[in-house]
Amino acid sequence: MKKSFQLNLVAASLAAIFLSGCGDAETKIVEKDPIEVPDDNDDHDHDHDDDGDDHDHGDEYTIESLGRLAVLSAESNTTTLYDLDDGALLDTFSLIYDGNAITASAGYRFAVIASRNNDYVGFIDSGLWREDHVEHLHDYQQAPVMSDYQLNGSSPTHIIKSDDEMIIFNDGDADAGVSASVEVLKDTDISGETSELPHIDYSINMHGVALAHDEYLLSTVRRDDTETTSAGTLPDQVAVYHLHGNEYEQEQILDITCPDLHGASQNDDYIAFGCTDGVLVAHEHDGEFEAVKIANIESVGSSRIGSIYGHEESDSLIGVAGGSLFAINPEVNTMEKLEWQLAEGVSAVSYAFSHEAEYFLVLDSAGYLNILNSHSHDGEAHWELVTSIDISEEDISTMPEDMSFSMTAAQNGDHVYVADPIAKHILQIDLATMTIEDDIEIGFSASAITWLGIAEEAHDH
Amino acid sequence: MFKISGIAAIIGLLLPTSLLAQTIQGEVKNDNGKSIAGATVRVEGTGAATTTDKNGRFIFHDLASGKNEIHISAEGFAHLHQDIILSDDKTNPLTLVLTRSPIEVIDIVATPIHMSVMESAAPVSVLAGDALRRQQASTLGDSLEKLPGVQSNFHGNVASTPIIRGLSGPRVMIAQNGLDASDVSRVGPDHSVASEASTAQQIEVLRGPATLFYGSGAVGGVINVVDGRVPTDSTTRGEWLLENNSADDRKLASFNLTTGTDSFGFYADGYWRESNDYEVPVEAELETEEEHAEHDHDHDSGDFTVENSAEKSNGFTLGTSYLFDQGYVGVAVEQFNREYGVPGHSHGDESENVYADLEQTRVQLLGEFNIDNDWVKQVKFASGFTDYEHAEIEAGQIGTIFENQTQEVKVDIIQSPFYDWNGGISFHFKDSDVSAEGEEAFTPPSEAQTIALALMQEKHFGDVLLQFGARIEHVKITADNVLLPSLDAHSHDESEEEDAHDHDHDDETTSSTQVFAVEHKFTPVSLSAGLVWAFTPGYNLGLSISRSERAPSASELLSFGPHIGTGSYEIGSLFALNEDNTSLGLSNEVIDLETANNIDLTFRKTQGNVAFVLNAFYNQIDNYYYQTFTGLYAESGHDHGDDGHDHDEEETELPVYLFQTDDVVLHGFEAQVAWQVNDTFKATAFSDYVRAKVKDGDDLPRTPPLRFGTQFEYQNEQISAHLDITRYQDQNNTSINETSTDGYTLVDASVSYDLEVLNHDIALYLKGTNLTDTEARVHTSFIKDIAPRPGRSFAIGIRGYF
Repeated sequence: MKKSFQLNLVAASLAAIFLSGCGDAETKIVEKDPIEVPDDNDDHDHDHDDDGDDHDHGDEYTIESLGRLAVLSAESNTTTLYDLDDGALLDTFSLIYDGNAITASAGYRFAVIASRNNDYVGFIDSGLWREDHVEHLHDYQQAPVMSDYQLNGSSPTHIIKSDDEMIIFNDGDADAGVSASVEVLKDTDISGETSELPHIDYSINMHGVALAHDEYLLSTVRRDDTETTSAGTLPDQVAVYHLHGNEYEQEQILDITCPDLHGASQNDDYIAFGCTDGVLVAHEHDGEFEAVKIANIESVGSSRIGSIYGHEESDSLIGVAGGSLFAINPEVNTMEKLEWQLAEGVSAVSYAFSHEAEYFLVLDSAGYLNILNSHSHDGEAHWELVTSIDISEEDISTMPEDMSFSMTAAQNGDHVYVADPIAKHILQIDLATMTIEDDIEIGFSASAITWLGIAEEAHDH
Repeated sequence: MFKISGIAAIIGLLLPTSLLAQTIQGEVKNDNGKSIAGATVRVEGTGAATTTDKNGRFIFHDLASGKNEIHISAEGFAHLHQDIILSDDKTNPLTLVLTRSPIEVIDIVATPIHMSVMESAAPVSVLAGDALRRQQASTLGDSLEKLPGVQSNFHGNVASTPIIRGLSGPRVMIAQNGLDASDVSRVGPDHSVASEASTAQQIEVLRGPATLFYGSGAVGGVINVVDGRVPTDSTTRGEWLLENNSADDRKLASFNLTTGTDSFGFYADGYWRESNDYEVPVEAELETEEEHAEHDHDHDSGDFTVENSAEKSNGFTLGTSYLFDQGYVGVAVEQFNREYGVPGHSHGDESENVYADLEQTRVQLLGEFNIDNDWVKQVKFASGFTDYEHAEIEAGQIGTIFENQTQEVKVDIIQSPFYDWNGGISFHFKDSDVSAEGEEAFTPPSEAQTIALALMQEKHFGDVLLQFGARIEHVKITADNVLLPSLDAHSHDESEEEDAHDHDHDDETTSSTQVFAVEHKFTPVSLSAGLVWAFTPGYNLGLSISRSERAPSASELLSFGPHIGTGSYEIGSLFALNEDNTSLGLSNEVIDLETANNIDLTFRKTQGNVAFVLNAFYNQIDNYYYQTFTGLYAESGHDHGDDGHDHDEEETELPVYLFQTDDVVLHGFEAQVAWQVNDTFKATAFSDYVRAKVKDGDDLPRTPPLRFGTQFEYQNEQISAHLDITRYQDQNNTSINETSTDGYTLVDASVSYDLEVLNHDIALYLKGTNLTDTEARVHTSFIKDIAPRPGRSFAIGIRGYF
C-alpha cells in the first residue's frame, strides 16, 4: 500500500442542525479518517484466466502487501501495529493487563494478547484480511482496531495455531478449584464474536496442550495422582476428541503414556508430544489414531524433549532438549541430534520455521539469526546450518534483564523480522538473499513481535 | 357495541364510592333466552375475569362499590360492554344478553384502551383459536395473509413478512406480547421474522398508523403475536399438534402447556418444523419468451421445485409467574432457532446455495398490578431483552452476520375513571444495537434509542365513544462508522468506450473510503382522535384521524452496499448523487421525519345473522422514504459469473437504488361481510385494495393487487369444513423497473373432525391448499420471477386440547 493512513488525522467535521415541522429532526455528521480499500472497480475485460491460481496477484480484489507487525512493548502495557510496506505506525493500543504474551490468530488477521495470570485473551484486528468470496478472493485493508471480543478461561497458557485453527489451553487453577479447558477458534469466531466456542471442559486442572487434526482434537489427559506417571500438574496421556455440536467428546485414549508431557507440535500427518522418555507420535488411520513412542536417544542424556517445532510442509519436527536440537522423523520413527548446535554459553531465544518450512530459524542470545535447512536422505531429514546473520551492532552485554531479541516469520514470503530491544528497532531480513533489507525505528524496546496479514497458503497439498 | 345504560343493568342510586366489597352474580344468555356457557366475563381495569359455567352463570366477589365496567365475550357473539353501578351491601343479580355476530370478535390485548374489530375507531383484526391454527404457516406473512388489508410479501415460503395496506419493512412493527420482535426482518425481505405462529395464542393486526401504542416503527400498522408465556392464571390447559404437509414435505410438531399452583403459574411451549424445497406447478424461474422456446424440451418432466427453499426451525419457551390477588408478575425465556434457504440468493453456480442460520434468545418480564385506588386502577409493565443473530452462510463459510440486541421497557398506567374518562399513560424505552458484518453488510452498525411518553383516553358520550391519544418520542440513532466508498457506478446507456476500459490492470489501484460518525436525533409526535357512533342498535360508524411522525430507520439513512435479498445496491438518504450523476457524496437535503396523515372511515353492522365491516382509508405520507432507481449500475462486490470471458457484465452488477423522500398517497378499502345462514353454515366474503403512488407521480413498487374472496364454513358438533376461494387480480400499477404480474385464484379447503378421548378434545384434520395447482406469482414478492407459490398440497394433522 503506497498511500498511508494518516491522510488527515484531525477529522474534518461538518455539523448541521436541522429543525422543522412539529417534530424535530437533527443530524450531526463528523468525518473521520478515511479507509484505504483495494479498488474494486477495474472492469471486466482483463485477464480472468481463473484456472485455479489462487495467487493471482493482479486480481482485482486482492492486495499485495508485506503485511503488518504487532509489537508488544517491554516498557509499557501497549501493543503497536506497524505497516510493513512503509514502516508507518498505524496505531498503539493500551492493554488491560501486564505480563502479556503475543501471537497471531489462526488466519493471521488478529494479534492475540494473552495474560495468563489475569485469565485474559484479547484480540487486536490488524485490519488486513482475506475473505473467500467463492469466485474470487477478496482482501480487506482497514485501520486496526481493538476487538471487543475476549476470552476469560482460567490461566490460558499454550496458545497454538494448528490445522487452520487456534487452540487455547486454559490450565485452570487448583487453588481456586478451576479445571482446565480447551477452546478452539477461527478468525471468523473472533470477528463474529462467537459466544460459545467448540470446547473441552476437564474436571481437573493441568498444564496441558491440544492440537487439531481435521475434525479431531488431540488433547492431553491428566490422570489421578495415584495413577499418573507425571509430576505436578503435567498430564501423561493423550486422548482423541471429536466435535459433536459445540463440544468435543472423548473417543479414544492413546494406549501409550507420556510421562511429564510437555510440548507438542505436528506436521501434515503426525502429531508429536514431548515426554521424559521420548516423543509420543500419533497418526490417523480412518478416524482411529495409532500411537508410537520414539525413545530418547543417548545424546538426550539426562534432559528431555520439552519443546517441539513442526510445520505442515516439513517432514521432520525439531525437538529441543536441554538447549540441544534434535530432528524427529515420525515417518521412520527416528530421532537424531543435529550436527549444528549453539556454542557453549549461548542460548536460543526464539525458534521458528520460515514460510513454507524451507528454513528452520534459531535466534540466539548472542545476536545471531542462525538459518538451517534440511536435505532428505533415506526418508530422514538432515538439518545443516546455511548461515548465521549478525543482527545486532550493539553491545550485547547491555541487554537489560528480562529482555531479549525476538523474531517472527512472515507468512506470505521469505521475510523474517527481528526486534532488537537495545537498538529499539526491528530488522527485516530476506531469506532469499540472506541479508538485512530494511529496518523500522520503533523508539522503544519490544518484548515480542508477531506478523499479521494475509498468509499465502503453501502451494501443494 | 356499547350500551351505556343497558336495559338489564341494575341501576342503583348514585352512591359515593365505598371500599365495601360487593358481589355480582349474573347469567349470560343469547337472544333466544338460551344460556351461553364458556363466555369470558371481565371487569375492566381490575384484572378480574371468569368464564360462565354450563348454565351460563358467573359470580364476582370483592368488587368495589360504584361503577364497574363489565365486558363479556363469547365465540360467535358480539361483545357486550356494560356499566354496572353497585350499591353497598347487596348481592346484585344480573342477566346479560349477547347477540350473535357472524364476524368473530376478539379483543386486542396489548393496548391500554379497548379495541376489537367491531368496537374501535381504528381498524383492527385478530386471528386466534381454530382460525389461527388453520392458517398458521411457516412464516408470519403467510399466516396472516387471509386477513383483510394484510398481504404477504411471499419470499419463497421461508421469510415472508406481512404487508399492511401496502406498507411493510420499517413501517410495520412486529411485536411479541407487545414488545418489539427485535430481529432484522425490517431490513430485508429475505430475513425471517423471529416469531412463531404455531405456539401463539392470537395474532393481532392494527391496520393503519399505530404509532400511538408502538412508536415510530408502527406508522403503517402493527402485528402483535400474543402467547401465554407469562401465565396470568394457573388453570391447567394445553394444546398439541402434529402435521405433515405434502408440497414441501413439511413436518410440524408443536405444543403449549400452562399449569401451576395457587400462587405460581408455569408455562412451556415448543415447536419443531422441518421442510424441504417446495414443489411448484411450473418451472420456478419465469422465463422470457426466447428462453421459453429454448428450454421447451425440459418441460415434460413436470416435477418442479423452488430450489433452496427448505427450512428447519425449532424453539421453546419456559415461563413462570407469581400470581397474587392484585395481579401477577412473571418471566419467560425463549430460545428460537431457524435455518432456512434463501431462494434467489444462490451464487450463479447452482450447487452453492446460501442459507441463513438464525438464533434468538428472548427474555420477557411481564406483570400487572391492580391498584384500584382513587387515581390509579392498574399498572402494567412489560420489559424484554433479546439477543438476535443470523448468519448468512455461503459455501459453508459465514458471509454476513447480522446481530440485534434490544432492551425494552414499557409501563402502562391505567387511571381510575376520571369523569368517566378511561385510559392511561404509557412510558416506553427501547434500545437496539444492530450490526452487520461481512460482504453484505450494507448497513453500518448502529444504535437506536427511543424514549416515549403517550396518553390515551376514551369516553362514552351517549351513543358515541370518543377515543384520542398523543405520543411524543425521542429517537436517537448513532453510528460511529458510516462508510462512503468511492463507487464507480455507471449507466448502461452510456457509450461503453467512454467508460474507460483503459485501467491499467497490473497497477494496484486504491481508493479511499470516507468514514463518518453520524448522530441523528428525532422527536416525532403523533396525535390521533377517533369516534365510534352507535347511531342505531346493531350498527356503528367509526372515524379515525391521525397525524403520525416516524423517524427513518438506520437502513434508510445509512446504507451503502449490495443487498442480494432485494437484488439492488442500496444507498441511504444520507447520501446523494454528485453533480456528475455517477459518484456519490453526502446529501445536502435535510434529514427529516416522515409524516403520515391518515383518515379512516368504518361502517359496521355488528349483530344479527348478517354482519359486515367496511373500511375506507386515505393516507397521505409526506417525506416518505423510498428507494428510487438512479439509472446506474454498480458491482455487487460479490460476482459469481467469473467463469471465463463470456460472462454478461450485467450479471455481476446490481442496479443502484437511492433512498429519497417524496410525498405519497395511499388509499383503499377493506370489506368483510359474513352471513350466518343457519346454526351450521356460514358464508363470508371479503375484498381489499390499495393504491400507492407518489403524489402526482409514479406508482410505488410491490403494491398488493386488488383481492376478493369468499369462505364457506360448515360446522356441526363434530365436523367443521372450510372452503376458501381467493382471487388476486392482475397488478399493472407498477413502478419504474418493475414488471406487472398476472392474477390468479387460490382454492383452499379443509375439513376437521372433532372427537373426545378421555376428556381430551382431539381434532383430526385434512387441509388442501392451491387445489387447482395454479401458477401464482406474488406481485409483492421481491423474488416473484423465481419463486411462485407452492403448488397443490395436502396437509394431514392431529390436534389436541385439554
